[in-house]
Amino acid sequence: MSGKSRRDFLKKSVAIGSVATGLSASTAKAGPKNILSEDRMGVLVDTTACVGCRNCEWACKDAHNLPAGNLDSYEDRKILETKRRPDQTALTVVNEYPHGKNSNLPVDVKVQCMHCDHPACVSACIVGAFSKQENGSVIWDTDMCIGCRYCMAACPFQIPAFEYDKAINPLIMKCDFCFNRTKDGKLPACVNICPVEALTCGPRHELIKIARNRIKRNPNRYVNHILGEYEVGGTSWMYLASKEFKELDFPDLGKNPAPGVSESIQHGIFAYFVPPVSLYALLGGIMWITKRRKELEEEEKI
Amino acid sequence: MSHELVNPVPIKHKFFTPGVYVLIVIALNGLVFLMGRFFFGLGAVTNLNDQYPWGLWIGVDVAAGVALAAGGFTTAAFGHVMHKEEYHAIVRPALLTAMLGYTFVAVGVFVDIGRWYFIWHPLIMWNGNSALFEVGICVMIYMTVLYIEFLPIVTERFIGKVNLPGLLTALNKPADKILRLLDRGLSKTMFIFIIAGVVLSTLHQSSLGTLMVIAGPKMHPLWQTPVLPLLFLLSAVSVGFPMVIFESLIASRSLKLKPEMHILSRLGSMIAPLLGIYLAFKIGDMFIRETFVYLNEFTTASVMFSIEVVLGVIIPLRMFLSPKVLKSPPLLFTASALVVFGVLLNRINNFVVAYTPPYSTESYFPSFGEISVTVGFVALLVLAYRFIVMNFPVISLPGQQTAQPKKYTIRGVEK
Amino acid sequence: MKKIFAVIFVLFFTVGTYAQQSPGKDHAKLHINCVSCHTCGLPTKDEPCWVACPREKMITVYLKAEQTDELVIIDQANERFGPVYFSHRIHAQMSVMLGGCGNCHHHNTLEQILKCSKCHEPSRQRENIAILDLKGAYHRQCMECHREWSHETGCKSCHIPISEVKGSHKEESKKQLAGKVHPPVTEPTKIVYETNYEKGKFVTYYHDDHVKNFKLNCIDCHAQESCTKCHDVNNPSSDKLKLVKEKKSLEDHHKKCFSCHAKDDCAKCHLDKQVEQFNHEKRTGWALKKHHINLSCINCHGSKRPYQKLNNQCVSCHKNWKKETFKHYVTGLRLTEPHSELGCEDCHAGNDYSVKPGCNGCHENFVYPKQKPGILVGK
Repeated sequence: MSGKSRRDFLKKSVAIGSVATGLSASTAKAGPKNILSEDRMGVLVDTTACVGCRNCEWACKDAHNLPAGNLDSYEDRKILETKRRPDQTALTVVNEYPHGKNSNLPVDVKVQCMHCDHPACVSACIVGAFSKQENGSVIWDTDMCIGCRYCMAACPFQIPAFEYDKAINPLIMKCDFCFNRTKDGKLPACVNICPVEALTCGPRHELIKIARNRIKRNPNRYVNHILGEYEVGGTSWMYLASKEFKELDFPDLGKNPAPGVSESIQHGIFAYFVPPVSLYALLGGIMWITKRRKELEEEEKI
Repeated sequence: MSHELVNPVPIKHKFFTPGVYVLIVIALNGLVFLMGRFFFGLGAVTNLNDQYPWGLWIGVDVAAGVALAAGGFTTAAFGHVMHKEEYHAIVRPALLTAMLGYTFVAVGVFVDIGRWYFIWHPLIMWNGNSALFEVGICVMIYMTVLYIEFLPIVTERFIGKVNLPGLLTALNKPADKILRLLDRGLSKTMFIFIIAGVVLSTLHQSSLGTLMVIAGPKMHPLWQTPVLPLLFLLSAVSVGFPMVIFESLIASRSLKLKPEMHILSRLGSMIAPLLGIYLAFKIGDMFIRETFVYLNEFTTASVMFSIEVVLGVIIPLRMFLSPKVLKSPPLLFTASALVVFGVLLNRINNFVVAYTPPYSTESYFPSFGEISVTVGFVALLVLAYRFIVMNFPVISLPGQQTAQPKKYTIRGVEK
Repeated sequence: MKKIFAVIFVLFFTVGTYAQQSPGKDHAKLHINCVSCHTCGLPTKDEPCWVACPREKMITVYLKAEQTDELVIIDQANERFGPVYFSHRIHAQMSVMLGGCGNCHHHNTLEQILKCSKCHEPSRQRENIAILDLKGAYHRQCMECHREWSHETGCKSCHIPISEVKGSHKEESKKQLAGKVHPPVTEPTKIVYETNYEKGKFVTYYHDDHVKNFKLNCIDCHAQESCTKCHDVNNPSSDKLKLVKEKKSLEDHHKKCFSCHAKDDCAKCHLDKQVEQFNHEKRTGWALKKHHINLSCINCHGSKRPYQKLNNQCVSCHKNWKKETFKHYVTGLRLTEPHSELGCEDCHAGNDYSVKPGCNGCHENFVYPKQKPGILVGK
């Protein structure tokens, strides 16, 4: 790239966009549930503690009725040599990166849906199947889904997967923060199984405090950055790491919510249906005037 | 004054020609892959994956399809709203193209979405924040409007000629009555639909541009801009007339008719300013966001962008400014084809080329199956167009009087 | 190390027995990691910013590795696995350069080791999520090193599946561990670094000078050095001892020396030839003998560096020396009756104690040391 990151351009774009549309903040009446509760839950992923045992991968599949296999088979670390992404068969995966300083101590990073505070998928979904719940989870209603995959195009973290190989009833698949477990008061499956508690589940505001404290107490262990505290307007899942997040394949996304520009354009065009109705009236007027003129011309001829 | 210009009749011509057979083969090939898609899933036929959720079908069948069907609303706005009646001869062919175009857009969407049997969901499940929802709803309504706008052509064809076979002959009279009732009702209300059509088109043509804004940094900066909706609208407006010229010249050649150069030249003379405005915004946006730095590198993105702007906008813009081009059918055809190509490429660029997901292991190129289905649809569309103009009064023959010369000239605004 | 223990013991008996187990005024100088108790870097009396943990009993005791239990059985109820037989003594030996006992027992106690479950709750679903749960705490203690050592993260590398648990595990483990020790770490005496620095190619480092003379503790330089510092874990043959030197940046190379030598210039260490071991007599002309041998530099020179040349008069150091209370026998010579009455200058001419004392003032042909004014005694 020519020295400028895409985000720089996007920043400028956001500025232009907000000027262009006047940043109408009005929320649409017909929209999915999109709650930003004060006490929403989150998970703090401490990648410096993660040992890459992949028990979370097994627990996740087990909790979501996906073929999980034997837990012992997850001890094979060869799979960590390739970078993987969550897909329809595994809603979370662990990737391994070199430490940088200590070749014997790799950095393991669990990847799953970040459960954004301002989720692009919730904004994008054509039928409003996605929703942000009080407890912070971003979930979706499979029965509503039409399989358009706009959520996948919209997601800044490239998380939702789709069952391309199914002819009938293909599903969008992603981490649902174990909504079915948490609503019964249980912890998410991955958080529950993690042997080293690299995943801490709790109220998001408390997690931020804990994360800040860890960085403060152990400045040599962590980079001074909580990924997800501000990224794309904040996410429910947040990360701590020993090296820059860029080197751990996290996209550099900036602080603006992913659906911000798109929604302000949308609401700008449709501000209480004033622009379309005005356009209709204007065209009607023109039509009437031109018709009158034509008629007058005809009359003159006669 | 408009009598001699507007006298649409079903064109009498042999339907099956060698070219038509080729088209049928192409269409059948597409249908085979289409069956594959429905029996074995999207993954079996397309190269789509979790990295590239949208491909050729969304880029061409849907996005480009909508843009290239813009002739319908631009000519309607021009011919009916502005009452430039001398252009009425091209309103009907443009309307037919738009109607068929949007039909295939709908079919394209139907084929592309994974759970096609729920395509009706947006009708009752609304998400006002979603640009796609807006596009979907507008396209649905607009398609209905297009069918309504087309109805008078059907009534015109059948009024007084209803001839049902066998036992149904008894229904001939009632059917004729219904047609006449429908015709009268439509005549009085058509102006509502015409304006609605223009408004709806303006909305969804631009919202189609909003679609990819949410993809943010996943889209190459050369295309990703908050003015995308405006650029989409402007390009749709500027491709409307070239598309009409393009297909009119093809149709008249294929159906052995005299090209209506007197109208097409005048239409052509209006394209340059529209293209100019589009180009100004596109270049202006590029300079404000300083994305021209990407043109210094040699990548797929920079090459595609350059082709799109130079070949698809700048060259035809220069051509349309020349009177010589406007008078010569081959040159006018070339210039129009370039604009059509430019907009087609722009939609492909926006939805396919510009889209680079953060975690991509390979780049996307449409599979043979995807291309087959898309090309098959285009072939089917051409065949349908051919069939309809041969059986319905769509194309006007200059200088020939028709049975009802005046009644259907200005739909809906007659007394 | 011993000295620290002594200091801590003294503190324990003087301060520690008071009602509130305050670690004492000068506890900041002790080798306790501040963050064991405080969350902030500069705790004050008004804002101590305590770690949320019971601190009734503070870190005070470090046992020698050899004094600890050789086997500790960690038996927390688990549906999948039996108890873990943990070879505590060997691990204690191994942790000497990794932070010592406090590395695991970060809230060690006066008498009894605090149970981990005192702070670390057994349930992961809990109120205070700032402190790890018990499962997490245990596993982190083990796995942070083990995954570096063997790259193994499988449960079975420590746990015995419940189906394979036998009653004899304890005896077997004890038998296995009996007499098993980490071989003593050999200390180098001298290391010569050949550097790329043009003006002085050689840096001669005397390890025992730093340990014996400068009284440094292992962890002062070798803090947080895990097993992989010396052992090549990727080479399973041999005893995993590392042969290849690790690559370090220029900055990292100097970091350890700079923690003391920050104000010295390059030529202090970088010379064009190897240097001999520091010798106080050669360097200063004043031999360190008798009592002085055991002193560390700062006892005389103070902590201000570079060290200043001192006057070789005794009183320049022994400032509180008084003639009236001085007992000559501490020098090794108990003066006989008549001599003890004499003034210092009568034998030590001009109060110069660096030269031989003379007898000429009273005796003729008497020369010290043969003709002694008293009896030699042990020091």
